[in-house]
Amino acid sequence: MEFTAAVKTFGRAGSTVRAVDGMDLTVGRGETVALLGRNGAGKSTAISLLLGLNDPDSGTVRLLGRAPDRAVRAGLAGAMLQDGRPIPRVTVGELIRFVAALYPRPLPVAEALALAGVTEYADRRVDKLSGGQVQRVRFAVALAGDPELVVLDEPTAALDVEARRAFWVSIRSFAERGRTVLFSTHHLEEADGNADRIVVLHRGRVVADGSGEAIKRSAGGGLVSIDLAGRSTAGLESLPGVVGVEVRGGRALLRTDDSDATVVELARIGAVRGLQVGRATLEDAFLSLTAPTAAADQVKEAA
Amino acid sequence: MFPYIALEIRRTLRDPTFLVFGTGMPLMMYLLFTNLGGSGSYDDWKAASMVGMAAYGALGSAMAIGTGIASDKSLGWLQQLRITPLDPWRAVTGRAISSSVTVLPTVLAILLAGGLVNGVRLAAWQWGALVLLLWLGALPFTLLGIGNGYRLTPQGTGVVNVACLMGFALVGGLWFPLGVFPGWLRAVGGFTPAHGFADLGWSTIAGHAPGAGSLAVLAGWLLLFGGYAVMSYRRSARTV
Repeated sequence: MEFTAAVKTFGRAGSTVRAVDGMDLTVGRGETVALLGRNGAGKSTAISLLLGLNDPDSGTVRLLGRAPDRAVRAGLAGAMLQDGRPIPRVTVGELIRFVAALYPRPLPVAEALALAGVTEYADRRVDKLSGGQVQRVRFAVALAGDPELVVLDEPTAALDVEARRAFWVSIRSFAERGRTVLFSTHHLEEADGNADRIVVLHRGRVVADGSGEAIKRSAGGGLVSIDLAGRSTAGLESLPGVVGVEVRGGRALLRTDDSDATVVELARIGAVRGLQVGRATLEDAFLSLTAPTAAADQVKEAA
Repeated sequence: MFPYIALEIRRTLRDPTFLVFGTGMPLMMYLLFTNLGGSGSYDDWKAASMVGMAAYGALGSAMAIGTGIASDKSLGWLQQLRITPLDPWRAVTGRAISSSVTVLPTVLAILLAGGLVNGVRLAAWQWGALVLLLWLGALPFTLLGIGNGYRLTPQGTGVVNVACLMGFALVGGLWFPLGVFPGWLRAVGGFTPAHGFADLGWSTIAGHAPGAGSLAVLAGWLLLFGGYAVMSYRRSARTV
């Protein structure tokens, strides 16, 4: 069986917001994919389409070869939605037993609790837990049915660094069972460190798709910066290798795919002041891909 | 569906305030109305008002569940349910069945008060039939309350449910017999779900089976409110 989620065009009727605007994406079975984007880039909407919570206005979304709501009905998906909080007046164990009972082939409850790391407070009421504990319980809810696909919408948004790290250990051990994991996040290093593949969304479209390395390269692998000392950036964008120019705090940041050539040329025109040369980070790449002015379809790389 | 019913019943039983006040309010109203007004001397009215108030209490308990559902929705729980294999019809049916747990004690409390405090005398089968009919007959109202809960905010649900409850109780003749209304209102009252519901009880104390008309009216409302609840449930999971 092959898992395919080809998310396509859709524009919200009756409003000017096109949250997901002609999105094409195929995810293979067993992949761990990060969905990156700024607020309002369409991550949550894309996820709601994938899970059949909303229907696309046009285009099609398929989940494991069927319509999303049918795949969900067949118990093939589990999810941790954004801002969801578990219901009060049940214990963790009761909640997970309940969710597991809805699925045709669930994980054994003890295993689901252990995978999510909530075994020790299985007998406590969900409304008496701390924020980090609640996140883990919500993860347990997502995986209790042992679904083919687990979708996590900003799963670590409210966690501190340590809790986040522990959380990712849990998620990776679930993914290692051959399950497909799709998660959205604001934390770039989280995407880089935990996903096989990163999909960058901007204004409802996929603007980059590939490994963390590929995405860094796509934004220009090198980063050269100089003090502008009051001068304009005119001409800088046409230097050899330069693919993008930005000004931050009186310094010009040149993204370049050939740092050597760029530096040599800067020296020749006498513009070297406080020179710094480095490698572009994923954050640099992300910022340039999703800059308010960035044109859609700028980069499209195969995974 | 059964795990869902079990889960929701367990949650309800852990909320004693809800149970105590849901049962206590109509009980107090019944005792006040029948003992302060001085109308307690007519045996017919005693039994009829007992049924009317038990029906009103059942109706209130049934609809009150909507507020709980609306707050579940605000927690995102309904969306979470939507992405499990539980299909909408089962979700709504399961929730309706689990809600009836709160209806039963209300009905029992008022019938007990009628028998023990107000001295209503009925045959054993009539008591049994009353409990059963008033319990099951509350289902359409449960569905209406649930539908409102799926659709509205917790505050909104509370207000709308109270308005529905008052309207139904008054126009349906649960508080005052339909006979005192002007002709047109009496005709409307006969078609309200609350009247069909209470008629189950009134027929029982009169010693005969409920009329086909009342049953048809109630069944019609059951379908209507059931459809409304399922539709609202589907809508509730949408994010945009």
